Amino acid sequence: MTHDITPLEASGALDAIDRGRRQVIDEIDLPTWYWWGLALGWIGLGVITDLKHPWLTAAATLAFGAVHSAVAPRVASGRHRTHQVSVRADVVGRRTARLVIGSVAGLGVVTVGAALAASADGARHPVTIASVFVAVIILLGGPRLLAAIRRRAAAA
Amino acid sequence: MTEPKFDELIHQSTRLSIVGLLAAADWAEFSFLRDELGMSDSALSKQLTTLEAAGYVAIDRPVSDHRRRVRARLTDAGMAAFQGHVAALRQIIAVGPA
Repeated sequence: MTHDITPLEASGALDAIDRGRRQVIDEIDLPTWYWWGLALGWIGLGVITDLKHPWLTAAATLAFGAVHSAVAPRVASGRHRTHQVSVRADVVGRRTARLVIGSVAGLGVVTVGAALAASADGARHPVTIASVFVAVIILLGGPRLLAAIRRRAAAA
Repeated sequence: MTEPKFDELIHQSTRLSIVGLLAAADWAEFSFLRDELGMSDSALSKQLTTLEAAGYVAIDRPVSDHRRRVRARLTDAGMAAFQGHVAALRQIIAVGPA
């Protein structure tokens, strides 16, 4: 070997490599428009449901599901927050997309529960109230979920 | 397990930062590397050319949104050299001062 590197220099080099890895890990996220689109779509669906036109609710639900199904596979992995970098799948972790999609499905259950509670309390627009509640959870909780995923990736 | 192999080309501090960053990414745009590493266009371009000539980095120029972009990614040879270099650095630390 031709190198003459001390353990201290080697440690410094590994630190530099780790900094680069963390700079990429900082890019693990979903685009902001995804969270806002999801929250606004959720409220829209709640408002339409409260109109009590079953065919309209069914059509809106199908449209919402179709749009989300088209968008989520491209962004839910958390690897493409921007067009500037693509984070490696093994750095992000394989469970990110499942966590995001699973959370969205779980929020559907929360919406139903909150709507039933609001309805039992005599609210005139229970689903709208429930969907606004869930939209706030999406906007506050979505970025926190991804922050937790970034912390886990950094610790790996 | 990766065989330790110290790589003089990668070890140069600027190139080490570039390769360390690219090792965590499928690809990164030139502007991302420049901004994250705080380098000038010419300095980054020079180092990428060196890494490309060694076969460690590939430069792609896709066109999206009517803009020509410049993306860099580690090649398989680059990733293998990087992993060997990291293993060598860890070995130096494990062995301790001579």
